[in-house]
Amino acid sequence: MRGLRALLFRLGGLFRKRRREQELTAEIDSHLQMHIEDNLRAGMNAAEARREALMKLGGVEQAKENYRDRRGLPVLETLFQDIRFGARMLGKNPGFTAVAILTLALGIGVNTVVFSVVNALMLRPLPVERPNELAFLENEHNGPSQSFPNYKDLRDSNHTFAGLVGYRMAPMELETNAGANRIWGYLVTGNYFDVLGVRPALGRFFNQSEDLSPGQSPFAVLSYSAWQSLFGADGGIVGKTIRINRFSYTVLGVAPPDFHGTELLYWPEVWVPMMMEPQIETGRPWLDNRNTWNTWVIGRLKPNVSPAQAVADLNSIAAGLARQFPSENEGLRFRLAKPGLIGNLIGGPAKSFALGVLALAALVLLAACTNLASMFTARTTDRQREIAIRLAIGAGRGRVVRQVLTETVMLSLAGGGAGYMLASFLSQALSRLRAPMDFPVQYDVNPDWRVFLFAIAGSLVAAGLFGSAPAWRASKADPNVVLRGGSTSWGRSRLAFRDILVVVQVALCFVLVSASLLSLRGLQQALQMNLGFEPQRVSTTAFELGLAGYSEERGRAFQQRALAAIQSMPGVESAAYSNSLPLSIDQSHTGVFPADKAELRPSDRIGVAFYQVSPGFFATLETKLLSGRDFNWHDDTKSPQVAIVNVAFAKRVLHSENVVGKRFRGGVQGPFAEVVGVVEDGKYGSLTESQQPVVFWSILQSYNSTTTLEVRSSLPATQMVAEIRRAIAGLDLELPLYGTGSLEQMLGFAFFPTRAAAIALSAFGMLAIMLAATGVHGLVTYAVSRRTHEIGIRMALGARPVQVLRLVLGKTTALLVFGSVIGLILTLAAGQVMASIVYQAQPRDPVVMMSVWAAISLLGLFSSWSPTRRAMRVDPIVALRYE
Amino acid sequence: MGERADVWQGTLALMVLKTLQALGPLHGYGIARRIEQTSGDLLAVNYGTLYPALLKLEQEGYISSEWGTSDNNRKAKYYKLTRAGRKQLDKEAREWEQTTEILARFLAPGKESA
Repeated sequence: MRGLRALLFRLGGLFRKRRREQELTAEIDSHLQMHIEDNLRAGMNAAEARREALMKLGGVEQAKENYRDRRGLPVLETLFQDIRFGARMLGKNPGFTAVAILTLALGIGVNTVVFSVVNALMLRPLPVERPNELAFLENEHNGPSQSFPNYKDLRDSNHTFAGLVGYRMAPMELETNAGANRIWGYLVTGNYFDVLGVRPALGRFFNQSEDLSPGQSPFAVLSYSAWQSLFGADGGIVGKTIRINRFSYTVLGVAPPDFHGTELLYWPEVWVPMMMEPQIETGRPWLDNRNTWNTWVIGRLKPNVSPAQAVADLNSIAAGLARQFPSENEGLRFRLAKPGLIGNLIGGPAKSFALGVLALAALVLLAACTNLASMFTARTTDRQREIAIRLAIGAGRGRVVRQVLTETVMLSLAGGGAGYMLASFLSQALSRLRAPMDFPVQYDVNPDWRVFLFAIAGSLVAAGLFGSAPAWRASKADPNVVLRGGSTSWGRSRLAFRDILVVVQVALCFVLVSASLLSLRGLQQALQMNLGFEPQRVSTTAFELGLAGYSEERGRAFQQRALAAIQSMPGVESAAYSNSLPLSIDQSHTGVFPADKAELRPSDRIGVAFYQVSPGFFATLETKLLSGRDFNWHDDTKSPQVAIVNVAFAKRVLHSENVVGKRFRGGVQGPFAEVVGVVEDGKYGSLTESQQPVVFWSILQSYNSTTTLEVRSSLPATQMVAEIRRAIAGLDLELPLYGTGSLEQMLGFAFFPTRAAAIALSAFGMLAIMLAATGVHGLVTYAVSRRTHEIGIRMALGARPVQVLRLVLGKTTALLVFGSVIGLILTLAAGQVMASIVYQAQPRDPVVMMSVWAAISLLGLFSSWSPTRRAMRVDPIVALRYE
Repeated sequence: MGERADVWQGTLALMVLKTLQALGPLHGYGIARRIEQTSGDLLAVNYGTLYPALLKLEQEGYISSEWGTSDNNRKAKYYKLTRAGRKQLDKEAREWEQTTEILARFLAPGKESA
């Protein structure tokens, strides 16, 4: 502990220097005086006495210096010195410093924003107990959901999970004093909170024993934000009764503020026991239905159980289920995914998207570092005199290198700090951004300590990247040569080094600009793509009649009354209703069988998407009817089941395009359905999907209480939407509407990834162009300034302007071409990365490649314009006198 | 070379402590003279190295210092042993005795194979 005490004292020694210094001088002084007096007494003369005393001491300054080394901490002191000196050097050249910090701030800021998204999606653990034990159960073949009976069998017969929870998102109508609110909640099994290990902020949670039989557990847990915003943070909320979907629930507790369920993007406002499913999803009970795959399942692995063991365990249960219930469970196999993004459904594409963007962002930082390396090398060159002097008066080379590195680290930390602030500003804005849709898509990409560490690490890596070259150069400085006034011996190699940097810059710029152009082209293609319908001038709104207490009969009547009311409004060209719309979040799937199969085997089942639509649906959406007819008002429960299919369905199920009048097995109203019309293919689930088989049922034959109205009108969407609201309110004042707006707005969800990619990559491309332009400009300017003398001589000897031009631009052009070729090769090689971020990326797209070439050439031309002009105007007389 | 300096620093510290124990509070010059006199001509002390050693001992809390006046009315910084310093001196002295004893046995002629 003596060492620690001494260390503290030495740290203390860093302060109050002046007093300590005075004391030291006084002590040494008194020492000398005493010694001299003794010597005089011993008979020496004055000079001798002094000389002997000094010799014995070993020199005043040496003694003091040794003492100082012991007094403070030399390592820290030199560091402070370096920092002070560095700050002075940086302050002396504010333009340079500002440009360097700005460059770094942009480079690091971009990376930090992207990283905070990656962090939110992949790194940040869920706010539950031991989150790394949790795993999301996913079917190998058909997606993320399980049937509830299967869930119960898995829960009760597995040996590898400490607990399995089932949950489902559901829209709910929550009544407060302020009226009915449409919110999204989770139906969760009773063990949910216990297995996840979450502690309530208020009250308590429900448990397994409170979720045993259907309809018998009217309990609710509020999310912190719902408690705050809907109930005014009422401290006495626990025990009170709230109404959800016209049914009373007792509030048991409030969840902690940071707990938003286990899905990163879908935050519930309320949790209700799973057994209340029939009350929550009125009229659609499926708790006992082994063929309704509606439940998402997360399990907590027992300690020391590997994921592989768990999968083996699950699959052996699955094999039993497949034997017992072959029609539902044939081929059932499980795999595990990280919880948070509905398994691989969103997780897979989202991860490769985010990582791809992060890779490109890293290239931006690399380009920024290349710029800085080039700037710093030039600056070190300008400072070679200073460095040479310091070397000549005895500074160690290590010390000089340390000085240069200190400056770069200071700069990069300043840049990193600025970048971090920029990033936290941007990601806070990003966290507040909500897509305009009826779905609780929420996320939190606010930076945390991981993001902060990332920014610091990014700064240090950047410092290493751009600081090592100038530092190395500084260490090579030869004072002998420099101080003699000659140009340095390392001039040639330095220029070559800067050339390499420019090539790297141009190559990176090429890659990034290609990426941004590819993404813009992808967006353009997506926007111009044939969706199978025409979203312009269509307004929509939706309501849920089941939740509002309508029976099927009253619901049907209401749907038709609403349609009639809207059709009679001025400005409406056509209108229709359906259960859902293509490219909305709510997509339904069913299985159909070819008509010729006598026995229904699961392996013959063909999965198709389905919509239930009213007559006029295709006309309103301008979906082309290729053959046959539209539904009419007589295609109702009294007539045989009819269907309209798309071309993909015709080919896939009926193996022909000419299918009007043909039959297949499926639908709700009998074993067979007859095709009465064929419509064009479109996009249904996502823009990137391949052609999906789709069947449209007449909503008159298969009622659905979820109703979406589509209205095509020449009026502006805002006005139309207001009219629609008024018309519906005229029929039922209390019916909550959701998803109201123009269809184009609603499609924001489908276009979001493409838009996000285009915005991000365009920003990267702009940054890259700026960086490359400054790089090339710097190179040419530098080359011209160094060769002014030479150019002067050449012109004096009669060189023509063209020859001067060639002299100045020849090398630059070569470097640009070389860099572009490398960039092209890299872009082609990185096609895989591009494909993960950009919709339908075609890295070989010749239009894009030509545009990039053109952009780079223009960039070269513009950025070398002014220095080249300066070279052309060199006055030989001035230049030669310049010596 | 670094190692030898460390040994010297270590022994120097011991000598300083012993000197302060024997003579009571003393200034740097006095300590240096005393060490030189005690060692006779065997040790050429560089007085300058004494001061960092004194500082180190002070930082470690074995000695303390204060300004005072010398016999012939000169201001000087006086060092004196603290309690921790006294303990440290006992300990180090014991260790040295042990070390020298062991070495002496090794170096005593003709006894190593006994």
